This record gives sequence, C-alpha cells and structure tokens, in this order.
Amino acid sequence: MLLGGTISTPPASLRTAEGLNLDQLNSVFVAVGFPRRDTAKIEVALEHTDALLWVEYEKTQRPVAFARATGDGVFNAIIWDVVVDPSFQSCGLGKAVMERLIEDLQAKGICNIALYSEPRVLGFYRPLGFVSDPDGIRGMVFIRKQRNKK
Amino acid sequence: MLLIPTSSSSSSSSSSSSLLPQSFFNSNSYSSNHHSLFLPNLRYPILHGSRKLKNLRLRANFWESIRSGFVKDNNTTQLVEPPSTIEEDTEPLVPVEFTLVERTLQDGLIEEIIFSSGGEIDVYDLQGLCDKVGWPRRPLSKLAAALKNSYMVATLHSVMKSDSDSSEGDNGQKKKLIGMARATSDHAFNATIWDVLVDPEYQGQGLGKALVEKLVRALLQRDIANISLFADSQVVDFYQNLGFEADPEGIKGMFWYPK
Repeated sequence: MLLGGTISTPPASLRTAEGLNLDQLNSVFVAVGFPRRDTAKIEVALEHTDALLWVEYEKTQRPVAFARATGDGVFNAIIWDVVVDPSFQSCGLGKAVMERLIEDLQAKGICNIALYSEPRVLGFYRPLGFVSDPDGIRGMVFIRKQRNKK
Repeated sequence: MLLIPTSSSSSSSSSSSSLLPQSFFNSNSYSSNHHSLFLPNLRYPILHGSRKLKNLRLRANFWESIRSGFVKDNNTTQLVEPPSTIEEDTEPLVPVEFTLVERTLQDGLIEEIIFSSGGEIDVYDLQGLCDKVGWPRRPLSKLAAALKNSYMVATLHSVMKSDSDSSEGDNGQKKKLIGMARATSDHAFNATIWDVLVDPEYQGQGLGKALVEKLVRALLQRDIANISLFADSQVVDFYQNLGFEADPEGIKGMFWYPK
C-alpha cells in the first residue's frame, strides 16, 4: 500500500493531487454509493481543498481510499468524501486515512475538525474521537425549494 | 473550542477556542500600526460588474416590500419580517453590495445598512465586533487568515450621513461594521457557514436573517449545491426559518474531541 497525498495551503495554485487519477477516484465514489459527479468539478473541489489523503493499491496503482478536508486553514476544517473501495474495507484503511488526515490538520493548527456522518457510519467515526451533537450543536443543511410557512 | 455561528437575537457567546501558539501559524507580514483594510482575493466570479457599487442603490425585489414598513419619525426602524423563501432561480442575482435599510434618525442623520459580499472588512473592526457579542479573543493574524481563506465573506455596515449631505460620496461618512457571516467552500460542491454575528445594538431587526439569506442566495447562485452549518441548540429555530434542516436524513454533525 502506498499512502500518498498533498497538503495544500489556500489560496491554492491550480493543481490536483499529484498522481491521483480523478476518473478512478470517481469510480470509488460511485462504488460506495455517491452519485457520479463531473470529474472537472471534482478537480475544482480538490484544488480548493485544505488537505487530502488517498491510498493507492500498488498492484493496480488505483486509489482505494480517500478523504479530504476543506476549511479556513486556521480555525475550522470539515472532512468530506471519506471513502474506501468496498473490496478493501474492514482492514483499517479508512481508520488510517482519517487518523493521518486529522494529524495533518492538527499540524496546521486547526483545532475545530468536524464532519457530517450518515447514520450508518456513526460507529466508524466515534472510535476515532468524533462526538455527535456536542453540547446540543446540530449540523444543518440548506434544503432548496423549501416554502417557509412561518 | 468550538466556533459556532451565533444567534442574531442573543448575545450569547460561543464556546472558547483553544489557541495554539503563533508558531503554528505561518503568517505573512501583518501590520499592527494602522487599521489594515483587508481585501481578499475574490475567489468567486463577480456576477455584477464592478465591486464599487457603494453609490449604486440596488434593492433586491423583496426588500422593496420592507421599505414601506419603516417609520421616518422614529429613531428605530423595524424590518417587517419577510417571508423567508430563497428562490435562487427566480430572484435577481445578488449584487455584491447594496443597501438593505435606510432610515432617518432623530437628529436628522440618515443611516444606511449596507450588505456586501465583497469581503471588504477591517480585521480590527471585526475583532471589536466579536468582543461586543462576547466571543473569546482570537489572534488578529489568524482572523485575517481565516477571512482570506474563506470563499465568501458577507458584511453589514452602518453608514451615517447628515441630511444635508446629498451626495453619496464617502466623504465624512461614518461607516461601522455591524454584522458578518462567512462561508468556506471547495468552490464546487460544499460550503459551510461560520461565524454569523450581528452587533447587539442592531439585533432584533431581522438583520441576521438578511445576512444569512443573502449569503445563502449568493452561494446558490454560484452553483454550490450543499450549504451547511453547525448551529447552537438555541439558534436551530433561527436557521430552520431560513430553510435549513437539522440532521437531514439522519445525517449528524460530529466534532473531533470537542472541549
């Protein structure tokens, strides 16, 4: 296994993570159930990402695990797109990527590290040190086309 | 050590942030001798011409309905609560800068509340505002960096001018920062709103709602589909009224070892 990645400091020079094939990354996203997204848009997203890590399977040289974090580079970071190829799950890859990503964010001085977790993977994040709704803080998402009756 | 969007209807403070030593932060020169006007690189495409729209009074359609709600003879102006619908497809593009409210004060002064998403903000002013709402102090250099690294910084400024000053120039105007909200983003899929604050003297007038509403609309118009935030329990209703849903489909916000 090869653990690779880049920590980019915003404002980023326009570059993608070195050696990461975005089409292959997209396939991993799709394999875990994400909607297929435009590769060009993924490229833009990665260019404006504070930190990202991915695991390459040496035999195929394809990415099999990935995670990235966006934020303001000093106070807050949010982790997105944590994925492990289904064929490579349950052997600690996701944990390794997360732990290393958090380390990297901490090294930049970022204290507030957050994420949004689907209900079925809360048990993945908890042992890593994540707490849901601490002090009653709720994650909220803007829902489009909502008619507010209040 | 959580930095949480604050309510516009209370001056409760957020949890304290733990501040790492300065050595963690590589900062370029930051002058402490004078007010540094912070002008971020604009990271998002400008949808409406020039940024210098100070003298151009643009009012988004649904605020026109508000103007009839203010009374000229009083000191205070109440914003009539607008319906909180954000329809990005039918509403006009959010200008970078425009006047939200204009009112005449008792002593003949005219006060304008100006919204801007251009991110022009003085870090000293911001720190003063954070002090006013009771937030713990954060190093100026870090504040400046956080602003610079934000995808969008929306501000509310109050501008005072006398009745006789018919020109709309900057001369002799008193401009005061009274509100701010910012969003970080990957410029493609996700944006997260942080640090929503309104000067306590200006709370209770619907300005916080306006601030967030305009920020959200500006983000939507730049094709950011996923707009999220973390809300203190006491402000969940505030954001719900603006179109945010807590724990959609059971998705939970989580924090790493929060203090």
